[in-house]
Amino acid sequence: MLRNSLKGNNLLVMSKVLRLGLLSALVLSLTTGCSSNSADSDQVSELTIYSGRSENFISPFLTQWSEQTGIKLNIRYGDSAELAAQILEEGSNSPADLFLAQDAGSLGAVAEEELFTPLAKEVASLIPDQFNHADRLWVGVTARARVFAYDPKKITTLPKSISDLTKPIYKNQIGIAPTNASFQAFLTAVIENKGQAYAKSWLSGLTANGVKIYPKNSAIVEAIDKGEISLGLVNHYYTWEVAQALGRSINVVNGYFTAGDLGNLINVSGVGVLNSSNKKQAAIDLINFLTSIEIQGEFVEQTHEYSLISSVVAPEDLLALDKIGAPAIDLGSLKNIRATQDLLIEVGLL
Amino acid sequence: MVALSLIPLLYLLIRAGEKPVAEIAGLLFRAKTFEVIATTSLLVVMVILLTGFFGVLIAAGLHFLELPNKAWLIIPAVLPLAIPSYVFTYTWIAFVPAFTGFFAAVFILFLTTLPYVTLACLAGLSRVDASQIEVARSLGFSYPKTFFKVVLPQIRTHLSGGLLLAGLYTMSDFGAVSLLNVDTLTVTIQNMYRASYDRTAAAVISLVLITLSAIFVVADERVRRRQQKGEVIKSTSIKSALIEKNSYKVSTVLLITTYALLAVLIPIYVLLSRFFTNTVEISWQQLLQASLSTVSVALLGAGIALVLSIPLGILLSERSTTFSRVSSRVILIGHALPGVVIGLALVSFGSKLGPLYQSTFLLAFAYALLFLAKSVASMRASLKQVPTGAKEVAATLGLNKWLVLKNVVTPIAAPGIALGAVLVFLTAMKELPATLMLRPTGFETLATQIWSYAAINRFNEAAPYALILIVIAAIPTFVLSRPDRSDRGSFNSGLGN
Repeated sequence: MLRNSLKGNNLLVMSKVLRLGLLSALVLSLTTGCSSNSADSDQVSELTIYSGRSENFISPFLTQWSEQTGIKLNIRYGDSAELAAQILEEGSNSPADLFLAQDAGSLGAVAEEELFTPLAKEVASLIPDQFNHADRLWVGVTARARVFAYDPKKITTLPKSISDLTKPIYKNQIGIAPTNASFQAFLTAVIENKGQAYAKSWLSGLTANGVKIYPKNSAIVEAIDKGEISLGLVNHYYTWEVAQALGRSINVVNGYFTAGDLGNLINVSGVGVLNSSNKKQAAIDLINFLTSIEIQGEFVEQTHEYSLISSVVAPEDLLALDKIGAPAIDLGSLKNIRATQDLLIEVGLL
Repeated sequence: MVALSLIPLLYLLIRAGEKPVAEIAGLLFRAKTFEVIATTSLLVVMVILLTGFFGVLIAAGLHFLELPNKAWLIIPAVLPLAIPSYVFTYTWIAFVPAFTGFFAAVFILFLTTLPYVTLACLAGLSRVDASQIEVARSLGFSYPKTFFKVVLPQIRTHLSGGLLLAGLYTMSDFGAVSLLNVDTLTVTIQNMYRASYDRTAAAVISLVLITLSAIFVVADERVRRRQQKGEVIKSTSIKSALIEKNSYKVSTVLLITTYALLAVLIPIYVLLSRFFTNTVEISWQQLLQASLSTVSVALLGAGIALVLSIPLGILLSERSTTFSRVSSRVILIGHALPGVVIGLALVSFGSKLGPLYQSTFLLAFAYALLFLAKSVASMRASLKQVPTGAKEVAATLGLNKWLVLKNVVTPIAAPGIALGAVLVFLTAMKELPATLMLRPTGFETLATQIWSYAAINRFNEAAPYALILIVIAAIPTFVLSRPDRSDRGSFNSGLGN
């Protein structure tokens, strides 16, 4: 009686929508194969990876290994820190066999909860020990160097140390990204090595020198290219990445501070095998593949990152890793950056 | 259902309980916590003021003015609902590299949340008593005076409902505020995971966020209760005559065009220009796969939300009991939690469920849980439109409860119910943090693809995914805003309240 055809239609549409959704989800769950195989180590058919590394950069290598071994890879891409938090929540129920992360901090958090299995000396044997976890709960895969990116036409006197950046010749010309994890890792190294007081006065000096704040590293490089600023503190590969993204060459090059300066910090991306995995051998095979000379060479070429193996040539136009003069820093000490964030908040940069 | 929406809260209480009381107190009473609460509140207030002002203006223009092709004006006013706030932020940063700070965040969140308020006001306006407007006009009231004295009081509850959704969204947002360097509660929560991997501290701050959102929810309830006293809901409202005044028309069209420029055209322009300055080959198969995945899991999520909200909507529309009041609060408050918290809560519970964990079903279920408030809110509003008399007549004619529901209640409430499902669908399509954690491994949605390219600055490669997302979102938006429908489109009878 109160039913009218239009509104009846609406209801029909709704039930169709519901049925369609259910059906397509059913089909999808069948095709994506969300059930994990509990095969034992000698006949592994698939491996699950949590990857904090971007799909674009890492997937060609993973595909290559998958094709070689015939082992199917289920790869879950995400933010390194969030994936670490997810693994911590999953605990021993984690479906992941392997965790590939952008930074030592995320790996350290998982290692601390004893969710990684220690790796034997033979695993990733070419990677120097200084880039691995002390108990080999994770190993390094690639390196990224902190540099100053600058416009060579505008900056004629290059800074020798981070302390030079507070000098008047760089007034209103410098950009930083205080929210960025790499910047915070660098600042943590400054606090650990030169003390809280020095770090605070350095940051205040930067602020007094008219430092400009950017949301991320790539925005700094773009701003230098556009002429908004002339110099910025970033990771080495951003000049390359921005040029790639824009599809043209840019007015920005990388510069290095004097050897040993904290501004030349080297951080690593790395990988660990989950304790809960029942496919540890296959996971270790993949780690050995990623840290082999051949693949490391391709890494350098395709992602513009550094290899941790000294015999692998550095990316084009970049100083070799052992020529940078990186400060001797224990990467494990850079895990807890809460003090760093408190300092950034105190000086008003966060 | 209410128990299910309690999962995140339960999780937070368990996690927070792992911390000694003294540490919790230390965390709560440090100066930084107060600063962050102040920033968050100020951000919410600014966004609410802006969306309230412009949302009312746009809705009033669309409702009262004789405008050509109204559907084409409603679409740009609503479409940004489907654009993730991080896409807004990324594109605006690409447009203006120094775009950062508090006011930039206000701007982005204003663009993101304006449709909630516009839609809610449109819904309210469709029920305004036209005879009162005519009385006011005949007494010599100007249009603006009539609007403030007669119309605005009548749509107050709808406006308040829309502002509530906008405010809760602002509180839960992470994408925009983190990129723009504004320290809100969600950023603090995220920093606790990132900086110190401290899940218990993050849980404590999440509880602070919940408390803050509870204040807004209770404030909205106050507004609604005040209105309900003495309010007569018209079952059929007489349409008021459309206003023919050119200055109003021009300013309304101008307003909507400006909004469309800022919220739709500039992001699309940035995406397209990035795409064309550095063209890459589009992987059509990947694009199609991601579109299908997105649509199906969002549909399923909307379906589950619909099913879950039917009993709740009925309960909430019939009478106000302590149980129904508490349930509606629980559901709404959950709306303020950032996706990461809901995601981790479901990871914590879900990882014990074996094969169900990281299945499409659990992901759809997470969407339903995250956006239940939208569905319940619109369902409740439209169920209230069903005249009690009709139900009583049907009952005296011998129909049992279910038949009354099926033959009387559902047909009247259907448009609003459909709107609720569409809102869940639209927001689920763009959801990122919970999707990243709960999707089946290897299952990529449009949102995860956009994120994975944008994270490495490949806007050119992200562009096709973002454009498809906007196009898909436009379809239900268009269907619902078609003006040739009996009641001027479902948008008018749903959301609010």
